[in-house]
Amino acid sequence: MLFTTKCKIIMDVKKNSYTFKSLLSGIWQNFIHELKTTFTDRGVVILLIVGPFIYPLLYGVMYLNETLVDVPVGIVDNSQSMLSHQIARNLDATEALKVYSNYSSMSEARQAFNNREIHGIVFIPRDLNRKISMNEQAVVSVYSDISSFMYYRSIYQSTTYSLLSLSKNIQIQRLNSKGITGESALMVADPLRYQNISLYNAGVGFASFLLPAIMILILFQTMFFGITMLAGTSREENRFHVLVSPDINREGILRVITGKAFLYFLIYFMWIFYALGIIPLIFNLPHIGNMIDIVIFMTPFLLASIFFAMSVSVFIPNRETSMVLFMFFSIILIFLSGITWPQSNINGFWKIFAWLFPSTQGVQGYIKINTMGANLHQVRFEYVSLWVQTALYFITTFWTYRWQIKKSFATNPELSETADLQTTE
Amino acid sequence: MLNNNSFYIKQVFNRELKRIISRPIYLVGSFGVMIFCFVFFMTFFKDGQPEKMPVAVVDMDNSSFSRQFISNLQTCQHVDVVQHLQSFSEARDQMQRGNNYAFVFIKRNLYNNTVTNSRPEITFYVNNAYMVAGSLAAKDISYLCLMTSGGVQRQVLRAKGLNESQIMGIVQPVMIDTHLIGNPWANYGMYLLNVLLPAMLQLMVLMLTTFSIGVELKERTSKAWLETAGNSIFAGLMGKLLPYTLIFTLLGVVGNLLLYRFMNFTLLSGIGWMFLATFLLVVAAQGLGILFVGVLPVLRDAVTVAGVFGTLSITAAGATFPVEQLPYFLRALTSAFPLRHYFLIYVNQALNGTAISFSVTKYIILFAFTLLPLFVYKRLKNAAIYMNNPAK
Repeated sequence: MLFTTKCKIIMDVKKNSYTFKSLLSGIWQNFIHELKTTFTDRGVVILLIVGPFIYPLLYGVMYLNETLVDVPVGIVDNSQSMLSHQIARNLDATEALKVYSNYSSMSEARQAFNNREIHGIVFIPRDLNRKISMNEQAVVSVYSDISSFMYYRSIYQSTTYSLLSLSKNIQIQRLNSKGITGESALMVADPLRYQNISLYNAGVGFASFLLPAIMILILFQTMFFGITMLAGTSREENRFHVLVSPDINREGILRVITGKAFLYFLIYFMWIFYALGIIPLIFNLPHIGNMIDIVIFMTPFLLASIFFAMSVSVFIPNRETSMVLFMFFSIILIFLSGITWPQSNINGFWKIFAWLFPSTQGVQGYIKINTMGANLHQVRFEYVSLWVQTALYFITTFWTYRWQIKKSFATNPELSETADLQTTE
Repeated sequence: MLNNNSFYIKQVFNRELKRIISRPIYLVGSFGVMIFCFVFFMTFFKDGQPEKMPVAVVDMDNSSFSRQFISNLQTCQHVDVVQHLQSFSEARDQMQRGNNYAFVFIKRNLYNNTVTNSRPEITFYVNNAYMVAGSLAAKDISYLCLMTSGGVQRQVLRAKGLNESQIMGIVQPVMIDTHLIGNPWANYGMYLLNVLLPAMLQLMVLMLTTFSIGVELKERTSKAWLETAGNSIFAGLMGKLLPYTLIFTLLGVVGNLLLYRFMNFTLLSGIGWMFLATFLLVVAAQGLGILFVGVLPVLRDAVTVAGVFGTLSITAAGATFPVEQLPYFLRALTSAFPLRHYFLIYVNQALNGTAISFSVTKYIILFAFTLLPLFVYKRLKNAAIYMNNPAK
């Protein structure tokens, strides 16, 4: 009980000394203090400086090839006719596939498939030609590797496309034989056409789809690990094993928090331009968004992420704890962000859970602006959410810091005496 | 000698058990994280495929024909027509807001142009910024367009006096019959969980291996650790890591049971082969972890490398993006990741059900990772004795 009253006294004293000038100088001192701590700690420099620089390059290089090219497939051609050879040639001519080899039987092809020499098998039955000439329906079977869905996508799309166009030619021949010729045969063969237009990520590239989300997560996670490592270190190093060393908190909680947050914000504001501005240009990722909108949107994202990390850091006892325990969460955050498994299909508990992480809104908003050319108005939900989170996590940061400072007073009564003296000076 | 060793291993083993319960990080980092992952992934992907995703229609024709098309669209597996909009720009605006993943634009006079044989066109726009959602929606919509076109064709041919069997041959002369080997349902959960759960397992093994050794160096207790081990780094490492081998193998086996027994995902080999692969993945990751902390005997460096390596493993495994399609200089590097070999075993054994001879080399390579500590044997011992590396 004693310590709470003591704290109150300190706070009251502080209230009186809360002139704007002293506030600014307090923030400035904490900023400088945090700056020194950050840049003299190699581990933190790796996380806050080296990580955000290297990681985007690394991922950019890994996914340099956007789409699959020349996926090897095998052909089992039991028909050995002009038509079946045509099918093989058409498949080989597609960009995504190449005919690796012809096999005399399914089991032989399966052997090559098991050796991972080919990722798909196209089986052309013996009766292909007979059925086509008898005006019946022929069946071509396609077997696809699905160990990666990318194989399946390429094989499915290319075989469908190439066999459909072959089908069209046969249709026209058959119509001709029924006496329907010329323009009217075309009309019957294709009475209703369709066109599939990819509005965003027009090339359906894997990197263009995934990397924008990865960029946001790199910013979020490196910042999280950096801030929590700083917190763990200060807890290890100060005499009382609390989050905020009493030596630096003389200036008041608000000044400590603001001073620290200001530093993190400045560092990551720089990374915004790099990871979201320069990297997309280097690797030719989508960048149809307005950079000013991106910066405006990213401001609450950074603030929310900073205060989120500062709040969580109260549970981090050591330098390395958060890295060991939360690295796996990077993967979870990708799924929660709704970039792969669509957000519309994340329901119930996980939907609320996902909302809690600024990365979810950050990914969605950034992709909408950057990849889909949305304006700020169109990402209002994400933008407002991020400001709400900024406020929410600022309050939790304030609480946790105050709790920690009180704790340091509680465990060390003599400390409050000195603190008291210093604040009343 | 061997007796001596087993005595010391036991002694270190007991010491490690006490350490494990002394602070939460060990149990949270093993049981906590893995159980969270089990629950998360099983519930997150429980539908198998994302179904009924929001799409929009702009129906300028508003004929019975176009309305029929839209109500047919509503019956497709992956799409849910949630918006009926008035213009292209409105539909695009909604797409940019993320309220639809695709929209169908039906021009005025679609029906009239169809009956007058002017070959009208249905256009649909897909948002591939969300590739999974975009592809699945596009697949459903293009299928429906083909079906609708076929329906019109039938009507026209009937009107021209052809009989049904003649019509059948004309509507679709070549049919494609697609088989997905091992995962005929194209179950997204089955596809991802089989690589993500082992990836998480490998990551946490790497983390706790580097942490449990590195923390001794950092807190300057490594000398005491070696003394407990009778100054044998071999006994020290064996005793120290054995608890984690047991814990993570147990968790890995639980994961296998969840995948192949509870979720009933494809398993064309005996489950024992997957147990073996899981066990070898655990010890391989432990071998790598020792290598990391041996090369970098500073706790935070070692866990950083372990973390980066663990997350990159998912890319290196080749499940999301095929390894052969990576840039040339990265392809060879993927062999340095135990998860890559585990993944190939999974594909061969569980998914494709090939003979074990296809996987033997992969099992051997996984086992070979346990020999990596030999490279840092001396260095790690010196670091443990002299404790002269920075703690921070």
